[in-house]
Amino acid sequence: LNNWKKTLGGWLFFKEPKKVETFILREDEFDKPDKEKDPGEGKPAGSREETEMKEPGKKRKNETFLLKKTQGQASREEKSERGQEKDKEKKENPQKEEKSEITPELVRNLDFMKKKYFIPSNGDVMIREFKITFKDKVIDAFMIFIDGMTDRKVINDNILAPLMVFSNMDIKGNDELKQFISNRLTPHNQIKIVEKYSDVIDEINFGGCTIFVEGVDAAFTADVKGWEHRGVNRPNTEQTLRGPQEAFIESLRTNTALVRKIVRDEDLVVENVAVGMRSKTPCNILYIKDIANDSLVAEIRTRLKSIKVDYLRDSGELEQMIEDNPYNPTPQLIATERPDRVASMLTDGKVGVAVSGSPFVLMMPITSTDLLHSAEDNFIRFPYAMMLRIVRIISIFFSLLLPGVYLAITNFHQEMIPTDLLFAIGAARERVPFPTLVEILIMEFAFELIREAGIRIPGPIGPTLGIIGALILGQAAVAANIVSPILIIIVAVTGIGNFASPNFSQGFAFRIMRFGFIFMGSLSGFLGITTGLFILGLVLCHSKSFGVPFVSPFAPKTRGSFAADVLKLPLWKMESRPDYLNPKDRYRQPKISRGWTQRGEGEDDDDGE
Amino acid sequence: MTGNKVVFGSRESSLFILNFICTQIVLGYPRDMVETAGTAGWIVSIYSTVLALIGFTVIVRLYRKFEGLDLLDIADQALGSAGRIAVGMIFLVYLVYISALVLREFGEDMKVIALTDSPISFIIMFFLVGIIVAAYMGIEAIVRLTALIVPVIFIGFLIITIGIMPYFQFGNILPLLGDGAGAILGKGSLKLSNFSAVSIIFFITPFLRTHRCMKTVGYFTISLAGVFFTWSVYSYLLAFPYPTTIEFFIPIYQMARIFEYGRFFQRIESVFLLIWAASALLYLSGGFYFILYVFRKTFGLEHQKPVIWSFAVLLFTLSMLPPNLTSALILETRYFRNYIWIITFAIPIVLLLIAHGVRKNSKKGGKSE
Repeated sequence: LNNWKKTLGGWLFFKEPKKVETFILREDEFDKPDKEKDPGEGKPAGSREETEMKEPGKKRKNETFLLKKTQGQASREEKSERGQEKDKEKKENPQKEEKSEITPELVRNLDFMKKKYFIPSNGDVMIREFKITFKDKVIDAFMIFIDGMTDRKVINDNILAPLMVFSNMDIKGNDELKQFISNRLTPHNQIKIVEKYSDVIDEINFGGCTIFVEGVDAAFTADVKGWEHRGVNRPNTEQTLRGPQEAFIESLRTNTALVRKIVRDEDLVVENVAVGMRSKTPCNILYIKDIANDSLVAEIRTRLKSIKVDYLRDSGELEQMIEDNPYNPTPQLIATERPDRVASMLTDGKVGVAVSGSPFVLMMPITSTDLLHSAEDNFIRFPYAMMLRIVRIISIFFSLLLPGVYLAITNFHQEMIPTDLLFAIGAARERVPFPTLVEILIMEFAFELIREAGIRIPGPIGPTLGIIGALILGQAAVAANIVSPILIIIVAVTGIGNFASPNFSQGFAFRIMRFGFIFMGSLSGFLGITTGLFILGLVLCHSKSFGVPFVSPFAPKTRGSFAADVLKLPLWKMESRPDYLNPKDRYRQPKISRGWTQRGEGEDDDDGE
Repeated sequence: MTGNKVVFGSRESSLFILNFICTQIVLGYPRDMVETAGTAGWIVSIYSTVLALIGFTVIVRLYRKFEGLDLLDIADQALGSAGRIAVGMIFLVYLVYISALVLREFGEDMKVIALTDSPISFIIMFFLVGIIVAAYMGIEAIVRLTALIVPVIFIGFLIITIGIMPYFQFGNILPLLGDGAGAILGKGSLKLSNFSAVSIIFFITPFLRTHRCMKTVGYFTISLAGVFFTWSVYSYLLAFPYPTTIEFFIPIYQMARIFEYGRFFQRIESVFLLIWAASALLYLSGGFYFILYVFRKTFGLEHQKPVIWSFAVLLFTLSMLPPNLTSALILETRYFRNYIWIITFAIPIVLLLIAHGVRKNSKKGGKSE
């Protein structure tokens, strides 16, 4: 409201649009060289939890290294000058100090870390000072970590004990202090030597511990993550009767492992990207290298890297940051908590993005037909899946249009209602004092209230809500002549239709749009409904999901069929991958995928294969 | 990886033009044909289809050397910017005239069929909202939506015409030649104007991939539209006796009214209202988009969005000018449907001939130099 003048001006006056080249997923893009590729692209992520998440740091390091090499002598001459400038900058701007290099003076390092983590105000950041014996010299050192995010046992047994106790043993070899600590005193599988404070902070913030030693101009960081997380459990929002019953959890590496367990393909790439300027939330781009279109992967990588938010907490936030059309009512990505669904979409040529801390993986690009599919569709026989999909399509029409159509028919097209039914509706409405529109709005709003309250209400009082809701919405409203019984049926069928939607976000979209159709239907009957559908159709046809038209494969028409995408074909008939994804490998399976049907050719019919 | 040039496939373009031509079936085409040649109205449909195919063949032959150019580009090449503006203005007037009339007719039809108590301006507003949104979304969205909806519209049309088969009386189309060969060949020739929407092809050439694609779209669309036209008149004539056929001003609605399927589904013509309104919205959206497109291109503007509201107001105002439905129908059938072929077929042919001449001259000039 503060900017109402600007908003009004935006509606009324034309503004020269910025020339933006939108991404369109085209065929054979993978033949072109990929400009966006990372130097480390294609390398699978490390074996343990998010240890290699510091890509930006690494990249900076590599870039500096290359710069040093190419510029050679000249750079060395400039170095001293730059150093002086840096010191100057440090004094002027303490924030930049974080990016500076670690000093060999332990006191200075300790002061910096204390200042950075507000110690002693910060209760969970622990500093443990101790001494190391090296070549008969006693050297001061300290360790810093966040209690609760780290594994105490690993710190005690694999870091502190060797440093404090084993350092007193006889030294063999001529290693310098830095190498000696790294190679002999820290028997832990992931130790890194870092030279910048920023890298140290990144490690500590993500459950690592860091050791500073007097006289060493670097720090030793160890991956000792050990926070609490829940175990892999059954899915909550995408339940199925057949198929795997595992769901993602909040731990990123567990989630990627769950997908790998199903895909079992060395071409599955799990690429690291950090999103969030402050949080540097680890995200993974998942794709199958020899199936997914390179330009699509590059586009997703570009979008993720271009995001400038301070904190990224969940995939829900990321979804809003990377989707093509924020004003499109329907979702343009699928957020799924099922590893088997992710695996299935990856094998189609889609790309996934997993976010640390989120039990939902985002899959993209999608089309409108994907929103009709459920995880179960491939696990049950095709006639059953086909029937379920038809039921879902009908449910969509109910959840979106039923109240609007009811209003349109009762207010404008009464002749459509068979006479007996018309009498029944008339008799039921006889004693209701409100017009149908008000009646519907009362009931729909009451239903929305119950839904929202059902989510917010504490578990033990849940059943009370059910009783109140059923009484108000059902018996009492009818008994008090506030609404007619037929309207209860309409609202109930609309609600059930909405619940039948396999995608939660899509269900939300229909809940909102339903009100639009109620108003359109009440204003001008079927003309209003048609205008509403027309506008919705235009918005959908205009939308793209990562360069793929949202109403593919129907408009534009691509390879694929109504039977395959909307209904369901037998699994052995699903030979090709979705054409609109322009995958590198177009076919899932050969024309004859059931080899046994060819046994003794000519003897048996192949059911049309 | 990127590139924002809009390109349509043959299928989408064909359905887009098909809807453009065939919307007349909903508006009153069958009655118009019956008025032209009596019970031989269906023969007029075939005759005008053949004429349209011939006209299109001539234009396509001349168009061969101008692949990827629309009529305005060709006018610019042949006659300079003055020529482009003149041709642009002629087509602009044509598109505004027919769009305003069709807007009014559809509004009136809706009023007659279902919204008897609503003011006509209120009904027209609904169409306007649809076409304004469509203009903002752009031609890509309109054409894609057409590709989705038009098959449904034609299925609906076939359901109505096949569903009333029990009412067919083959005696209704006798005498076969209706008002006589003179009426068929004479007055029928003017009905070439029913295919005037084919001219939209000459504006979507930049969106089509090749000249071959343009040819395919044109021939396919005219032929299929001819089939639908003929079938609509034929079934209309069979379902109602001749004296009645010239009375109904919304023939397809009357056909839908007699459609009956059991005791429960008796008056389901309102369901067809959905597809008629959809057809109207698609037609008007396409027409409106091309009004803006022609205006932008004629006057060399960079954007067309700033004039959306202005043209919407203009269209609304013009559509409100005829005092009633009958006046609107007279303006359409008596003037537009008889003479508009001059603009949509004759002008492109003349323009292409001039462009050919200019091209030859410039080549000769180039060689002699």
